[in-house]
Amino acid sequence: MAAALAMVCGTGLWFASANAEIHIEPRVGFRGVFQLGRPFPLEIELSNSGRPAEGVLEVQVWKGGATKGGAPFAVNYRREVFLPAQARKTVQLTVDPDFISRPLAITFSSPTARAAKELDLRRYFTPAPLLLLLSESNLLAPLASLTTAPQSRMVTVSPGELAADPRALLGVSHVILYDQSMRDLSRAQLSALDTWLTAGGKMIIIGSINFALYQDAALSRFLPVRVTGTRRITFTPPAGKDGRPFALAGVLAQEARLLNGKALTEADGIPVLVEASRGRGRIVYLALDIGRPPLSRWDGLAKYLQTLLTPAVLDDAAPRSEWNDAVFAQLVASPTFISTYVPFGSLFFAMLLYLTGVALIPWLGQRLRLTLRKILIGLFILVIAGTVAGYVQFNRGGNIPDGVLLSSTVLESSGDGYVEAQANLALFSTQPRPYDLRLERGWMELTPVSNRVRETQEPAVVHQEGGGASRYHLPLREWDYRLFRMRLVDRFPVHLEFEVQGDKLSMKVNNQSNKDLFNCWLLVPGQRFDLGQIARGTSWSRTFPLTLPKAQTETSMARADGVSFRDLSFADKTRDILFHSSYFPQGGIDVRWSSGAAVFFGWVKQPEPRVRIDDPRIQSQDYALFRAMVPLTHGEDE
Amino acid sequence: MSNNPVWRESIAVFFVEGHGYQVYFYLLAILAPVEFLSLYVPSLDAQKWSGSASLFKVCAVTLLLLLIYFSLRVANQEFAPWRFKPLKHWLREQSYSAALVGQAQLVFLSAHVALSLLLCAPLLVWAGAISRTPLERVGVTFLLLLFYGLIYGVWGLAALAMWERRMENRQVFIRCLFVGLVILSALFYLPVNPVAFVLAYLGRQELPPLTLFDLSWSASSIHFVFHLLFGGAGFALHRWGLQREAVL
Repeated sequence: MAAALAMVCGTGLWFASANAEIHIEPRVGFRGVFQLGRPFPLEIELSNSGRPAEGVLEVQVWKGGATKGGAPFAVNYRREVFLPAQARKTVQLTVDPDFISRPLAITFSSPTARAAKELDLRRYFTPAPLLLLLSESNLLAPLASLTTAPQSRMVTVSPGELAADPRALLGVSHVILYDQSMRDLSRAQLSALDTWLTAGGKMIIIGSINFALYQDAALSRFLPVRVTGTRRITFTPPAGKDGRPFALAGVLAQEARLLNGKALTEADGIPVLVEASRGRGRIVYLALDIGRPPLSRWDGLAKYLQTLLTPAVLDDAAPRSEWNDAVFAQLVASPTFISTYVPFGSLFFAMLLYLTGVALIPWLGQRLRLTLRKILIGLFILVIAGTVAGYVQFNRGGNIPDGVLLSSTVLESSGDGYVEAQANLALFSTQPRPYDLRLERGWMELTPVSNRVRETQEPAVVHQEGGGASRYHLPLREWDYRLFRMRLVDRFPVHLEFEVQGDKLSMKVNNQSNKDLFNCWLLVPGQRFDLGQIARGTSWSRTFPLTLPKAQTETSMARADGVSFRDLSFADKTRDILFHSSYFPQGGIDVRWSSGAAVFFGWVKQPEPRVRIDDPRIQSQDYALFRAMVPLTHGEDE
Repeated sequence: MSNNPVWRESIAVFFVEGHGYQVYFYLLAILAPVEFLSLYVPSLDAQKWSGSASLFKVCAVTLLLLLIYFSLRVANQEFAPWRFKPLKHWLREQSYSAALVGQAQLVFLSAHVALSLLLCAPLLVWAGAISRTPLERVGVTFLLLLFYGLIYGVWGLAALAMWERRMENRQVFIRCLFVGLVILSALFYLPVNPVAFVLAYLGRQELPPLTLFDLSWSASSIHFVFHLLFGGAGFALHRWGLQREAVL
């Protein structure tokens, strides 16, 4: 009886909760703050108080708009989610709205439930980049004032709150670590931090008495030193405005051995302040424990810490390549881009045959005194046969692919085995169909380039699969195209060293990458040298004259203008267009080069594709150019 | 229908005596060069694929204009008019009913439109294949062309029934109708225009809806309602003209 009652009650309850009931709770940025105009993490907690639900979580943001010089368009971020009954699940996405005057819309939809929430992002933004502080210690009052701009926000986060997608960290200028164990960080989080760092992030690691934390692999991978212990030292800070140097005795500092980077300050034989670069990023290590006396009581500590945030040498942004409709118009006209199907010859002959047949049948009908019915049947057969045969011929002719994905990348050397890859993408479609762009891990920015048809497109859908992996789903019409820019920082160990020795330039090349470089050139003001191929594993050293031969010097009032990139050409027409119109556009890098710099470049043989479309009907073309530009000042090298 | 003397007369004039061949010659002689040149000329320019891309649109619009123009003229008996017996002969001297004459004229108009489309079908389908237009869009384009051919052509019959003995009036009326509704209407309200509608359909574009008294009507419904009313008015006028001729 009791069992039957329980069953009845249970059935009643089951019917009562026949549908899933979903509640959406979003968390924006880092503790509710994000930098305007940069991607940021969006954590969405889904709680289900009903039946299990398998559905799609979608976040709609707005891109384009007045600031980007075009009409606003929606981008949907999508993740498939399974919610068990009476359960909670947290989904992390990285979203990147261009403007926030329209609310961000979050929807969860499944066959059994639907929930939606709108979020006004205007409450959460800050115009300046964020500083993230990771510290288990609460001794860091001086760090509270560690901001370079009045609008900059320092946010204290726990390791668990660090995003697993490097793009989510793009609105963060500095990550400051003090007395913090990194052991709990997942592989994806560490990888994201690494990628963010090489892409231009700055990390400040401040030593503490708990030196064992700094010996852990999770943290030591970022350190430019190997920490061995602690000891008290006498620290002499840089002289203040009054110019009187003073010393702080008994300061607790970590003992360490320099691994890479440059020791900016040393005291008692240990490196106190070390700066190292990684890709386009920078790591600053301060061996002193600032949270403990006597340093914590020092009046000038806040000011001293602020000097750590400003770089010793300002980063020189790599020149951007041109990528727009005009460049694409040249590419698409090139016979090497696509076997463009213009069968005017076969169409002419097909028309001639058909029109002759149409004229012949009535004429024959009259000559042979055929009935009108027979003439019409003859015409009908001719029309059907001609239509089908022509359709088969013209539809299959040319064997053109459904689409072409062209990726053109400039690998800008940053001198330490890393390159900043600026990838320009063009997706050209000959069919109305959807495309799934699969982006390689490590990419940082993918921005659509404005073009004339973008406004009429259906919204693009971004499938975020966790750990920074993403797929872009784009519908394209026939003979339509979309252009994108993408940026990432990657390892490409081609080491170049230049040294000006009087009127000569010494150049050392060491290609440690797994790619051959071909069509390599060195350009110095007024001259250029064909270096041919630099195969993988090759290492050589050469000297080049920096002065022109006498005959040339007499006619070279404007020496830099005499020789330019304009007359360089390659065997491939597409390479020519990319080189002259995209990588070295007129009035762009020419200007820098003519003002006294050495430019080295070489094409990468069979470059790695940065974006894929897994479909044999889509033709993929990848071009990559390795480039290094060095100002020619005496004694300077790269 | 084979016993209908008006139908048999039209068939005889057009196809047995061959006076109607010139219509189909004009159709093919205009459409074929337009198709060839719109493929060939852009190939001389930088964006050589643009010719292939827009080939079907160009051909469909050309055929649409030709089809409407020649449907109006054929229905108006502008080709070999001296070979057609006047309505007075059929309706009063032979005492055939206005319905019988009207039916024969309508069926002949439909046969002309169908034959025109049949003859142009290979050129249009080839253009569709070259421009990679999906087959269903090619098919719907054919249906649209048939629809416009009949809807506009019926006004040629109406003009014939109204002013049979005033040939110049009919010719001027038909050309004004063609220019006004097929070309100039685009300046006033785009969704009414057949060329704009075909281009929007092939380009997968939504034409602006019409909003009246807070009620929004989609461009497609406006387009078809307008054309059905327009065709219905032409049909009614044709019938009225024939009946008027019968009782005079």
